[in-house]
Amino acid sequence: MKARIHSLALAGVVTLAAAMLAGCGERPQVGKLEQGKYAGKADTRPWEGGTFKGDKGAWEQAERNRVRAQNEYKRVE
Amino acid sequence: MARMKFLCDAERCIECNSCVTACKNEHEVPWGVNRRRVVTINDGVPGERSMSVACMHCSDAPCIAVCPTNVIYQTEEGVVLHDKDGCIGCGYCFYACPFGAPQFPNGPAAFGARGKMDKCTFCAGGPEENGSQAELEKYGRNRLAEGKLPLCAEMCSTKALLGGDATEISDIFRDRVLRRGKGVEAWGWMTAYGKDKEEAK
Amino acid sequence: MLTRKSTQATGAARQLRSSAARHFGQTMDRRTFLKRSGLGVGAGALAAQLPYNLIGSADAASPEAAGAAGAAGDTSVRRTVCSHCSVGCAIDAVVKNGVWIRQEPVFDSPINLGAHCAKGASIREHGHGEHRLKYPMKLVDGKYQKITWEQALQEVGDRLLKIREESGPDAVYWIGSSKHSNEQSYLLRKFVSFFGTNNMDHQARICHSTTVAGVANTWGYGAMTNSYNDMQNAKAMLFIGSNAAEAHPVSLLHILHAKENGSKMIVVDPRFTRTAAKADYYVRIRSGTDIPFIWGMLYHIFKNGWEDKEYIRQRVYGLDKVREEVAKWTPDKVQEVTGIAEEQVLKVAETLAKNRPSTVVWCMGQTQHTVGNANVRAMCILQLVLGNVGVSGGGTNIFRGHDNVQGATDVGPNPDSLPGYYGLAAGSWKHWCRVWGVDYEWVKARYKSEDLMTKSGITVSRWIDGVLENPELIDQPGGNLRAVVYWGHAPNSQTRGAEMVEAMKKLDTLVVIDPYPSATAGMAAMVRKDGVYLLPACTQFETSGSVTASNRSLQWREKVIEPLFESKPDHTIMYAFAKKFGFADELVKNIKLVKDKQGWDEPETEDILREINRGTFTIGYSGQSPERLKLHMQNMATFDVKTLRANGGPCDGEYFGLPWPCYGTPELKHPGTPNLYDTSKHVMEGGGNFRANFGVERDGVSLLAEEGSASKGAELQMGYPEFDDVLLKKLGWWDELTDAEKAAAEGRNWKTDLSGGIIRVTMKNHGMHPFGNAKARALVWNFPDPVPLHREPIYSPRPDLIEKYPTHDDKMKFWRLPTLYKSLQDKVKDISKEYPLIMTSGRLVEYEGGGEETRSNPWLAELQQEMFAEVNPKDANDAGFRNGDYIWVESPTKAKLKVRAQVTQRVAPGTVFLPFHFSGWWQGKDMLEFYPEGAAPIVRGEAVNTATTYGYDSVTMMQETKTTLCRVSKA
Repeated sequence: MKARIHSLALAGVVTLAAAMLAGCGERPQVGKLEQGKYAGKADTRPWEGGTFKGDKGAWEQAERNRVRAQNEYKRVE
Repeated sequence: MARMKFLCDAERCIECNSCVTACKNEHEVPWGVNRRRVVTINDGVPGERSMSVACMHCSDAPCIAVCPTNVIYQTEEGVVLHDKDGCIGCGYCFYACPFGAPQFPNGPAAFGARGKMDKCTFCAGGPEENGSQAELEKYGRNRLAEGKLPLCAEMCSTKALLGGDATEISDIFRDRVLRRGKGVEAWGWMTAYGKDKEEAK
Repeated sequence: MLTRKSTQATGAARQLRSSAARHFGQTMDRRTFLKRSGLGVGAGALAAQLPYNLIGSADAASPEAAGAAGAAGDTSVRRTVCSHCSVGCAIDAVVKNGVWIRQEPVFDSPINLGAHCAKGASIREHGHGEHRLKYPMKLVDGKYQKITWEQALQEVGDRLLKIREESGPDAVYWIGSSKHSNEQSYLLRKFVSFFGTNNMDHQARICHSTTVAGVANTWGYGAMTNSYNDMQNAKAMLFIGSNAAEAHPVSLLHILHAKENGSKMIVVDPRFTRTAAKADYYVRIRSGTDIPFIWGMLYHIFKNGWEDKEYIRQRVYGLDKVREEVAKWTPDKVQEVTGIAEEQVLKVAETLAKNRPSTVVWCMGQTQHTVGNANVRAMCILQLVLGNVGVSGGGTNIFRGHDNVQGATDVGPNPDSLPGYYGLAAGSWKHWCRVWGVDYEWVKARYKSEDLMTKSGITVSRWIDGVLENPELIDQPGGNLRAVVYWGHAPNSQTRGAEMVEAMKKLDTLVVIDPYPSATAGMAAMVRKDGVYLLPACTQFETSGSVTASNRSLQWREKVIEPLFESKPDHTIMYAFAKKFGFADELVKNIKLVKDKQGWDEPETEDILREINRGTFTIGYSGQSPERLKLHMQNMATFDVKTLRANGGPCDGEYFGLPWPCYGTPELKHPGTPNLYDTSKHVMEGGGNFRANFGVERDGVSLLAEEGSASKGAELQMGYPEFDDVLLKKLGWWDELTDAEKAAAEGRNWKTDLSGGIIRVTMKNHGMHPFGNAKARALVWNFPDPVPLHREPIYSPRPDLIEKYPTHDDKMKFWRLPTLYKSLQDKVKDISKEYPLIMTSGRLVEYEGGGEETRSNPWLAELQQEMFAEVNPKDANDAGFRNGDYIWVESPTKAKLKVRAQVTQRVAPGTVFLPFHFSGWWQGKDMLEFYPEGAAPIVRGEAVNTATTYGYDSVTMMQETKTTLCRVSKA
C-alpha cells in the first residue's frame, strides 16, 4: 500500500520542480524526501490511456488470455 | 486481479536464453545490460538445473525500502518500477536485492544515461505516459498497457518461464506438478523444506 | 511495521544469496565462465550498435498501433518463420514505415505455440544488422573494395564464362544453401543445370546425407517419419547423437510435455549434454561406436523375445541376416567397444521395448561418421524390430538442422539428383524438361557430355579435393575445379580447414553470395590478393517463399521488409546471372517476372512453387500450392497440436503445412502426411505403407508386403508394386481417367504422369498407395555394408580394435574423386599415442551453423563471447592447465587451435568437445583485418574444422567430424 500511486497526487510537486529547473536545461530532480513515501513521477495504470481507455475489465480479460497462451495444455487437450 | 509474478519451472528450463534475447529485442537493451539472465547449477553433471532470473517484483521489495531518493514504487498489480529521473545511481537497491536484478548501465545509450539504475519492468514501462516515446527510451516497451505480458515469458522455448497473475500461473504450474506426480520441483523447494526429500527420491 | 517487514526481507535476501553462492561455488556454468573471461568484446559492439537502436526507436510506432494488428497508420504485421533451425517457429513481425520494429509470439502456431529459443527471440536483429554485407565487393590487392552490381555481374559473369569456355562447365563448383527457400533451392538446381554441370551441393551433404540415403533405402523416403508434435504421443524416447535442448530447443516443448505425462526420456551421448540433464536416464558412449550399442540392444530384444513378430513378418525384409550379426555382439563385446555395461544396455532396450510406442531421435552424432549410413540404418532396424515405424508416437524422429535443409534436400541443388529425388537418368531429365518447358536436347547441349549429365557431381565436403587433387585422378574431363561459388554456405562447417585455404589460394575465382560476408571472405583474403567477389544476398525476411520444417510441413513466409542496403533476393540474383549466361528465358519459361523497386526482374516465388508442384510427384510436393499454404498460415489456430490436424475451419481435415507427401494436384486435396507409412489411416487421410522402390523380388523372395499390411481402406489388402499405366489397365481402372488424363498418363507411371491422374484414381477411387506396398529393407544390398557393421573410425583412439573392425577399402572413383579409407587408417593406426584424446564437436544454442550470422547479432553474441574447449579435469590436470586458461588443441593435421579451456565433467576423461560455430581466428591469430571493413562478426574464434581430419561416409561422402583425435597443451 505504501507505494500506491495516484495519478494526480504528485502532479503539483512535479510541475513546480519542472518550472524551477527549466532554466538549467536539466530534468527535474526529486527534492523532498519522506521516509517510505514514493517521491518520483506519477505513473498511469496499464488500462489507462491508449489501448483500453480505462476499461479495467477488458484489460484483465486480455491479460488472462495471454496467461492462457503460456499453458500448452490448453491447446493440447 | 491478484499480483503479477514470474515463475520459472526448473524441470523445464533448458538454459536456451530466449528470455534473455526476447528482453533485449523488445526493449532494445544495450550490450552489457542484463535485465534477465539464466543461471545454472551443477553444470555438466547429473542434477544440472537452470532457471531464469530477473527482478522478482517482490511484494515487500527491499529495494523500495532502501532507496534513498524514494523513487522505486510498486503498481497496483505488484510490479516494482522506478522513476529514473529521480534515481541517483547509488546502487543501494543493488545491495538490498536478493537476486542481483538492478543493473547500472554506463553507456551513452538511452538506457545508460548517467549510470542510473535499470532493471526488469515486467514489460510495464515506467512513470511516463503509457506507450510514449519517453517511456520507451527510458524504460522500454509497456506491454502490460497493450494487454500483453512480458515477452520473456511469452516466448520461453519450453514454457518454463511463466509470467502473469500469480494465481493463474500457479494454476498452470500446479497442474504440471500433479502430472509429474513427484512433488514440487520449483527451484528453492529444497532450500525451504530440507534435503531429506531430495535424498529420498 | 515497515521496519519489521524490511528486516524480514533482508533476512530472506541473505539466505538466498548465500544459497546461490553455495551453488556457484561448486561449479561454474559456461556462461558465467565466459562472462568472466571475455569482457573485451563488448565495448566495440556497444558503440557499433548505437545508431541502429536509435533508428529503431525513432521510427517506433506507438504501442497502441503496434498492439492492434494492422489497425493504424503504416503499421502492419507480417507472418514469417524463423530461419535458424528446422523446427519452423512462426513469427509475427511488426513493421512500421518499412522498419521491422517489433516481434510478437505466434501462440496460434501448432508447431511452436509462440515459443522461441535465443535465436528465434532475437531474429528481428536481421532487420537492421549492420554487420551485413552491404554492397558488392571485390578483393583488390588483398583488401575488399566496394563495386557496383553492374560491375560485379559483369566481372563474375565474364570470369565464369571464360572458365566454362576453357575448362568446361564442370570446372565451376556451386555451393547452394539450406537456408534458401524451396523456391530458391529449386531454381538454383535448375540454374546450375542450365550452366551445364552437376557440380553443386548444399549443407545437407554434411548434415543428414547419410540419414537421407540410409533411411530412404530402408523404407522409401529419407526424412523424419513423424513430427516434433507427435513425440507427445511417445511412451519412451531415445536420443542418440542429438542434443535437442541446444540444437532444437523448441522441440523440447513437446518432448518435456511428453516426459511430464510419463514418457521415459533416455540420452545416449559421449557428452553429458543439456538434453541429458533433462533425461530420466543417461548413458555415456564412446564416440563412433553406435552400431555395437544398437546391436547390443537388439541382442537383448531378441533374447527376450521383445520383437514385434507379426509386424516383422508382414513388413520387414532381410532381418535374418541382421540377427546373425547381432548374435556376435554379446554384452562383453559391446562393453569392450562402446564402454557401456550390460545392465545399461539392457535397461535402455527394455525401456524402449516395454514402453511402446517408443521413438528414437538422432542428429549429427550419428550421421557425421565414416559409417554414418550404417549407423542410421541400424536405428531404422531397431525401430522395425520393435514395430515402431508407421505408428503415432513411434518412428525415427530425425531432427534436421537448418530451417530449410529438408526442402533443399527435397528439391534443391543436389549433385546426384534433380528435384524430388528423380535422379539423373535420361528419363528423369526428360521429365523435368517437360515441366520446365525446355527442350531436352538443349539442356543436354549445355553439358559437356551426356555422361557428365547423368553422373553425380563432386560433394561440398570434397570440393577442396576437386581443386587440389591430381587432375588425372579426378573422374571428370578437364580435371580440377577452377571456380567456386559459395551461395549461402559457411566454409568453417567443412572439415580439413587447413587444406581449404590451400584450395582457396589455388582457385581462379571465388564468389561469395550471402547476407553476411561469411568466413569465406576472411579466409580467402588471408591467402589471396584478388579474384574474390562478395555479392550481398538478402535474408529470408526480405523476400517471400516456402520453407519445409523437419516434420515435412511447409510454411509460407511473407516478406517482412524490403531488402536492406544493396542486397537482393537469391532468386533475383540467379535471374540476373542467367541473363548474363544467356539462358534467362529458359530459366523462367513458366515463371512470371515482377519488377522490384530498383527495376530488377524478380521471378515470382508463388509461380516457382507452382512449377515445383507440377513436377514433384515422387515425394508429394505437388499438392502444396501457394494458396493452400497461405490459408494454413492464416488459420494456424484451427490445427490440433498433438495430431497437427485441422478440426473444422477452412482447412478442415488437413494437416498443418501439408507435410509431404501431399500427393497429386492441389485439386485432389490430399491432406498431407503427418506420420509416414501409417497403415491405420486411409491414404486420402494421410495413411500409407512402405514404398515399393527396390523391385518386387530379390533372390526369389518377394519384397512386397504380406497380407494384412495395407493401409486402411485399400481395395487390395496385400503388397503391390507401384502404379503405372500398365498396372492401371490390368486392374481395369484405366477408364476412370479423363481423356486429358489418359493422354498425359499413357506410357507413364505415377511419378511422371503430369496430369496426376494415376495418383487420383489410385488414391481417391481405390484407397491404394501409388508407390506400392512393400516391405522395409533391413538388408540394403546396394550399400557397401548391406547389414550395418561396426568399423572403427579412421582416426581411432583404439588401435587394438582396428584390426578387428577395420574401415572400408579405398575407393578410386567415388563422387568423381579417389577416397581413402584403409590405407589411411593403417598409416595413422598408432597416432593415438601422440594424439591421445578424442576430438568431437557440436552445437551451442546461441549460434547456428558456421555462425557468422548469429555471431553478428549482438543480442546473441553477448551470450557466448569466446570459443572454448570442454576438457575433463583429469586431462586438464595431466596437461597442466586450469579452467579459463588459453590452450592449444592440436590435431594430427598439425593444425592448432587456440581456445579457452573449460574444465568440466560434461565430457569424460579422454574426450575433448569443441563447438563448431566459430570462425575468424586462424591458429591463434584474429582475422579481423581480412574481413571487409565493419562487416566482421562481433564474436570471432577458432573454427574447430580448421583442425579436423580426413574421413568420409562410404555412401554419401558425409564428412567425419565427430570422432577424430587431438592433444591439448597450455598456450
